[in-house]
Amino acid sequence: MRGFRLSDRQVGILFMLPFLVTAGAFMVWPVAEAVRLAFYSYNPLRPDDLTWVGFENFERIFDDPLFWESFSQALVWTGWSIVLQTLLGVGLAMLLHVALPGIAVFRGLLLFPYIVPTVVIALNWRWIFNSEIGIVNHALVSLGIVEQNIAWLSTPNMAMTSAVLLNVWKYTPFVIICVLARLQTIPTELYDAAKVDGARAWRRFIDITLPMLKEVLVVVIVFRTIWTFNKFEEIYLLTRGGPGTSTFNLAVYAFEEGMANLRLGVAAATGVVMIVLLLAGTVVYVRVSGFGQEEKGS
Amino acid sequence: MSAKTLIGRVALYALLSAITFLVCFPLVWAFFTSVKPKEEIFRWPPTLWPESWTLENYRALLEGKQAYFQAGAAAASGPPPSAFFLDWFLNSLIVTLGTTAISTIVSTLAAYSLTRFRFPGQRAVPYLALVGYMVPSIIFVFPMFLVMADLRLTDTLFSLILGYVCITLPFCMWLMWAFFRGVPIEIEEAALVDGASRLRVFWEIVLPTAWPGIIAAAIFTLIVSWNDYLFGRVFMNSMENLPLTVGVMHFFDGTHVDWGLMMASSVLMTVPMAVLFMLLQKHLVAGFGAGAVKG
Repeated sequence: MRGFRLSDRQVGILFMLPFLVTAGAFMVWPVAEAVRLAFYSYNPLRPDDLTWVGFENFERIFDDPLFWESFSQALVWTGWSIVLQTLLGVGLAMLLHVALPGIAVFRGLLLFPYIVPTVVIALNWRWIFNSEIGIVNHALVSLGIVEQNIAWLSTPNMAMTSAVLLNVWKYTPFVIICVLARLQTIPTELYDAAKVDGARAWRRFIDITLPMLKEVLVVVIVFRTIWTFNKFEEIYLLTRGGPGTSTFNLAVYAFEEGMANLRLGVAAATGVVMIVLLLAGTVVYVRVSGFGQEEKGS
Repeated sequence: MSAKTLIGRVALYALLSAITFLVCFPLVWAFFTSVKPKEEIFRWPPTLWPESWTLENYRALLEGKQAYFQAGAAAASGPPPSAFFLDWFLNSLIVTLGTTAISTIVSTLAAYSLTRFRFPGQRAVPYLALVGYMVPSIIFVFPMFLVMADLRLTDTLFSLILGYVCITLPFCMWLMWAFFRGVPIEIEEAALVDGASRLRVFWEIVLPTAWPGIIAAAIFTLIVSWNDYLFGRVFMNSMENLPLTVGVMHFFDGTHVDWGLMMASSVLMTVPMAVLFMLLQKHLVAGFGAGAVKG
């Protein structure tokens, strides 16, 4: 930079420009487009035929039993996933927090599922849960836990179970990471004092650890709930929403409406419903995390 | 917490090993399956430890196209999906690296600008990034497809890069914003008072201290763009242009499923992530900790 100098103002604008252009063209525009599409009937194969239909798309999805089925299945899927992830995540984080030689190896291995591609997990799951030659059935039968092979992916309840297991396998590490980070900041003096007072391990967990974890757990649970509720790939790649429509959630519903039925307007209307639910979740998040207060303080 | 007694320690190790075994099993089993010959894969009861080891599944994937075209059978019905494996791998690599470069550069510049200069609406940007971060891809994907179609970009790797930049940028922006807010500005100000230009200060003083943040943002972007399926599925249609994730799902198209091929490709797809994980595990934990817990 010889010869001329940019003022701070120019540097500021120059640095912001790529972000504003990208965000404007490929985020704000598509979201605006998504909201607009929700009020139109649109088939991508007939791009000239874009008809204003008002709230018809919304009426259509609210009248569609499959929409409500997807909604309630999304609740089941989210509920089980979150409960299991939280319990396992806290338990494993406590285990991994113990000072043992070689604990880092266990930490590494137990966090690894988080970055395994969903496609890979879905392929592996279809293979190990294969009803005829899958290793899970082989193990269960030869250990005498069940008498005959379970049709994991072709019966509604078992398909949902497999999908929840997949989600738990992949995302429990996220809970572990967050909880472990918090555990490491709890002063050990607190535990020492409690020990002197004669508190047993279980009481120390209830009285010291849990209150300390409360804040991070609320944040993690809200985050994971929002994400899990809207998950598409974890379900679609494993079961395609099947058997039948028994593992549809709203994301799979929107995808099928858009991709298979080519009703982009209906897909967009579903998306708008999801955004509304999401914003409600975000408001909860902002309230509980104190994001706003922190900002005022700085 | 500490485990003092010997028995306590042994019990803890046993418990940890059992859990680790369960968690790692699906991946280990995928690897074992991938090195078994076909007849052994379909044997019942299954052999836990492979009786005979073979690389035929990997060879089929890595030599797919050449072997197929040399055999001269391509004319009949087009090559099988596995023939495109190397194309897909390369596509995913290009798209992942392209996305990571763009996302980290754009978010670093913008986050620096946001924390050091005054703008109208400045305070709203991190909030909007937070909301953007939580919007699921399924909402973006169709309207973005229409935008890409308007720009005549569908079925190009560039459209995928743009798509992934959009889903990763909010989080990267947020991460870098949180990072730069924590970097004291006294050193920068001192350098500015000494007469260094703003760009020079950015290049020589700010960037070298920003590496931990940039690495965390880059790791996040690498993972998201290597792992995504939805955008590739909606944006792309030619076999040779698919990313790896969409491509391998075509292995289910045929009448019988070749599990050996499938497990070999799932191993190969995991290897880059495993290498990344081993090299950068510390940063990964720090980055997700900062992004998710702090917020």
